[in-house]
Amino acid sequence: MINTLILQAPAETTRYMIAGYSVIFGVMFLYIVSLIVRSRKLKQELETLKELEQENK
Amino acid sequence: MEPKPRMLAILDVVTTLLFLTAVGMVFFYAPLEAIMGQVQRVFYFHVANAWVGMLGFMVAAIAGIAYLRKNDRKWDIVGLAAIEISFVFFLTAIISGSIWARGSWGTWWTWDPRLTTAAICELVYAAYFMLRQGIEDPDRRARFGAVYAILSFISVPLTFISIRIFRTIHPVIFGGAAASGSSFEMSPKMLQTFMFSLLTFSIIFIDLLWHRIRLGKLADETEALRLKTLQ
Repeated sequence: MINTLILQAPAETTRYMIAGYSVIFGVMFLYIVSLIVRSRKLKQELETLKELEQENK
Repeated sequence: MEPKPRMLAILDVVTTLLFLTAVGMVFFYAPLEAIMGQVQRVFYFHVANAWVGMLGFMVAAIAGIAYLRKNDRKWDIVGLAAIEISFVFFLTAIISGSIWARGSWGTWWTWDPRLTTAAICELVYAAYFMLRQGIEDPDRRARFGAVYAILSFISVPLTFISIRIFRTIHPVIFGGAAASGSSFEMSPKMLQTFMFSLLTFSIIFIDLLWHRIRLGKLADETEALRLKTLQ
């Protein structure tokens, strides 16, 4: 009876689920942050280049 | 840079709501799997990540064909955007799959046909970025990138069908329950959560692609102005 109950219980794998979702959410978050950071840097660079172009004129 | 379109702002909100709903369904709606336990919940977003990976690689191949036919730089921007997003999501699918494997198979990695073809596929697309880094001329870079995106797409259907043509321990999700001994039966709630996750990640892909294309246009504009200033 005890053996049957033990066999029927789901495996204790909560820590792997937490690890899996930490990776999924973490990578998505980092990618979105990287898009924001790159966008800000490019905007700044574009502004600087435009100022330089104006000065050269 | 053009101001953010209203449609994109709406899509951002819709995507966020869909994502939160999908997370809620995974943790509170889908039942606990009887054998694998909690780690099975990784399956919903693991497959969705892999789906986004394959979808983006396909979009990049189509953009590559469009670029070679029309010689329009916008298709190069689309191709690069699609591959970058897909590369990230496919990598997440591989890592989360490895964690799932540890919980259910007892090993982090095995040279199973699906795992091997997925790893090769990811490496093939990693080389795409190296190829682009090595070419300075934008038009040449776009042309080589387009050809590479088309050729490398061969690895995607190979990865998809690998579990159907080779003996494997990886579960076959679509139409393969009888063929694979390692498949598990999905209850209606599990299936609903799975399909909703696929839909959500497809929308996430469209949203991110739109943002990444805007970033690509900005990078193109900056590069053009930089070259002009240097001359």
